Amino acid sequence: MKAVEYVEKIKSGELSAVETTKAVIKEIKKLNDYNYFNTISESLALELAERADKNPKGRLAGLPVSLKDDLCIKGVETTCSSNILKGYKPTFNASVVEKLINEGAVIIGKTNQDTFGFGSFNVNTDYKIPKNPLDTTRVTGGSSGGAAGFTALTKFPHVAIGESTGGSIAAPCSFCGVTGMTPTYGLVSRYGLIDYANSLDKIGPIAKNVEDLELVLDVIKGNDKKDSTSLNEDLKNDNKVKKIGLIKETLNVDPKIKDLVLKKLNETGIKYDIVSLPTITKSSLSSYYIIAMAEASTNLAKYCGMRYGQEEKVNLPFNEYFSNIRTKNFNKEIKRRIILGTFTRMAGYRDAFYLKAMKVRTLVIEEYKKTFKKYDLLVSPTMPIIAPKFSEVNKLKPKDHYMMDIMTVGPNLAGIPHISLNAGTYNKMPVGIMFMGDYLNEKKLFNIGNGLQDN
Amino acid sequence: MTKIGIEVHVQLNTKSKVFCSCSTKQSDEPNSNVCEICCGFPGSKPVLNKEAFEKALKIALALGCRINKETFFSRKSYFYPDLPKNFQITQYESPIGENGKYMSIRIRRIHLEEDPGALIHKGSYCLVDYNRSGIPLVEIVTEPDFKNAKEAREFLRKLITDLSYLDVYDKKSEFGLKADLNISTTGAKVEIKNVTGLKDIEDALVYEEERQKDEIPRKNETRGWNSEKGITFLQRTKESEDDYGYITETDLPLIEIGNKLLNQIKESIPELSEEKSERFTSDYKLNEKDAKVLANNKKLAELFEKVAEKVNPDIAAKWIIRDLMNQLNYHKKSLNEIEIKAESMIDLLKLFEEKKITDNTAKQVMINMITKKNFMPKKYIEDNNLIMKSDDSQIEKWCKEAIKETKKAVEDYKNGNEKSLNFVVGKVMQLSNKTANPDAVRKILVKLIRK
Repeated sequence: MKAVEYVEKIKSGELSAVETTKAVIKEIKKLNDYNYFNTISESLALELAERADKNPKGRLAGLPVSLKDDLCIKGVETTCSSNILKGYKPTFNASVVEKLINEGAVIIGKTNQDTFGFGSFNVNTDYKIPKNPLDTTRVTGGSSGGAAGFTALTKFPHVAIGESTGGSIAAPCSFCGVTGMTPTYGLVSRYGLIDYANSLDKIGPIAKNVEDLELVLDVIKGNDKKDSTSLNEDLKNDNKVKKIGLIKETLNVDPKIKDLVLKKLNETGIKYDIVSLPTITKSSLSSYYIIAMAEASTNLAKYCGMRYGQEEKVNLPFNEYFSNIRTKNFNKEIKRRIILGTFTRMAGYRDAFYLKAMKVRTLVIEEYKKTFKKYDLLVSPTMPIIAPKFSEVNKLKPKDHYMMDIMTVGPNLAGIPHISLNAGTYNKMPVGIMFMGDYLNEKKLFNIGNGLQDN
Repeated sequence: MTKIGIEVHVQLNTKSKVFCSCSTKQSDEPNSNVCEICCGFPGSKPVLNKEAFEKALKIALALGCRINKETFFSRKSYFYPDLPKNFQITQYESPIGENGKYMSIRIRRIHLEEDPGALIHKGSYCLVDYNRSGIPLVEIVTEPDFKNAKEAREFLRKLITDLSYLDVYDKKSEFGLKADLNISTTGAKVEIKNVTGLKDIEDALVYEEERQKDEIPRKNETRGWNSEKGITFLQRTKESEDDYGYITETDLPLIEIGNKLLNQIKESIPELSEEKSERFTSDYKLNEKDAKVLANNKKLAELFEKVAEKVNPDIAAKWIIRDLMNQLNYHKKSLNEIEIKAESMIDLLKLFEEKKITDNTAKQVMINMITKKNFMPKKYIEDNNLIMKSDDSQIEKWCKEAIKETKKAVEDYKNGNEKSLNFVVGKVMQLSNKTANPDAVRKILVKLIRK
């Protein structure tokens, strides 16, 4: 059942939010071995469900919504899947949470992710690794892995709130066969989102269908005075898609994936050209990782066992105490990114790495702008592969992990909206197709998505 | 040759902090004016306080800086327990202002940043108070243009005065002024970090200048300042510049300073001390020294101008500079502690100007104005019958009595000791409760004694 239909039934009294909530929580517990949830916010969920039954007014009245574990909920453990934040209960709600609750949503819990968003497979988590809903020997994709996995498996109406820095919504959607919208940077307030890389982080919905994405995005978007990067503009109304550009360089993937993407694209019946985007496809990945890691390495500095999260008895000078806490509670990938990120911004390297990456980012944005003068949307596969097996992932080097983001980093670096839709299956595993639009052109993406989904 | 450059950190007098809405009051209970933003909790984001930004811009303009039309914030990374995020939001590549000049000292840059919290050391442990965290700081960096400590002191004094004219700085908070001092004499460059308050800044520079005569620094070094002992001490030698790994603070968007804002801030800049003292000499014909004393203190200057509207400026200047300041010093009070109403001052000095009270009475009233709250000079003078008496017959009575009581002095005067008359005059003043017109008293005394 679609969210819209479900909310109507809550409003008419045909369905009970409390009953649905209880059933969803039971289901989460039953699916425990998939490791999708870090925390179930049972008492909060029941309280919100009761409220929705009593006064089913909001646009999301009674709708179960899960949140990626990097979004703060007041009084509910929020960890970004990292040991360093174990036991941390924020003192305030993320703006997104406020908006969801105001519209009657039922917050059911916090979903698993790569720690602080650092990964494309969700294997870098300090919790148990989430398993692919279609094949438990495979990964969910990441970093919003718990969100996409649970969305795929649940039998109930549900929308997950994910977050993408370099592809963390699109990647798990592609691997789990669900749909996700990464909106224009700044469309959704980041207040209360625990930062990975501030200039790249975007909150967006993951759902089983496009209408649900549209509904929830409409609730969570909008200017917020607490986030200075939050946009004042609303979405563009024009949703007509006349011409699409298929990105040439992204077709160099497994032919089966390419075929599925082309087949899906042809279903649109819309004219398309093959376009070459040399700067974007060649330079996005390196520029992205330098900026993301540089920002991340400063964001992670605050975790030092002093004000929240893990702490110990202080019996060392402060810098040794900080090092001790960080050494014990940061996993290998976090340490790698802190070291790399710090390196790229140090005197003597800053010009060659950090500042250069910022310049490249400007070139990437310019290339998109130029391309969107000719095309309403761009399209590519979401991921270069289908969800790999854990045994395969274990053999990959860090650089191979980073290469997985080759399709998704471009739109993320530029902050343009993109939607990942299921294009079919290959070896019984889902393959994603990704459409990208110009700033605030989410309605074109929803339009194309609505036309393409299997109903 | 001694070269001194200073980096002054000034706390702006805004109501709320620079990136959140917490109060800037530091006197409150520790950690009471704090929130998730100034304590750097995960997920919180800074929002720039417009008032703080405009005040920083005002300083940059007043100090003759070139304004960067596009300015942004950066993260300066270092680990320290008083720094909640372990990075400070500051400005690096594009500060608000650059290349200014003030009192013939070149200003390298002026930028806006957040103050860290305060560490409170308690024997074997240490506490942190985040009330200070996020208070807006403006950093003013000079070129090494000072040749000695005295020049630096004069610069800072004038700077503080002008910052109070700009209404960006609260002079009351001594701790609102901090500086890092760079001083090189004959050897390598020495930086003295974190010196608080004007007096300590002067003392540290004088001390260091002397010290370097005996111990020539061979390597660049960072030193601390021990305020109690009045000495600097070695913290570390520096082989290279500190590396703070600056990156852009992308939670805060680029700020474009439009001409409208620029003009608006420019227009809001009031007359500063230099111009003011020039105007005092030309408009009120004050001597240069008095004009400077008045202009270098916002409160005095304001008081003077109000009083001078109604009273002869010479009298106003003399009484404010000489008598008011003397009495303040004598009663160990500062101008900030007391409330002197211009109206009271006008009432008092008008009576004096019109010769309705004596110099002595005026002084006595001034003491009351300083030591008593809500003191009303005019009423006090009337209630205590202190209006000057010029009635000859009354004065003659006092004089006759005085002559009787000061026989020796009168004899001495008759024998040619002119000064002895003062003693007799004093006696008359005493008898008249200081209200007798001194000129009349003199005339009558001379007449009576010569009879």
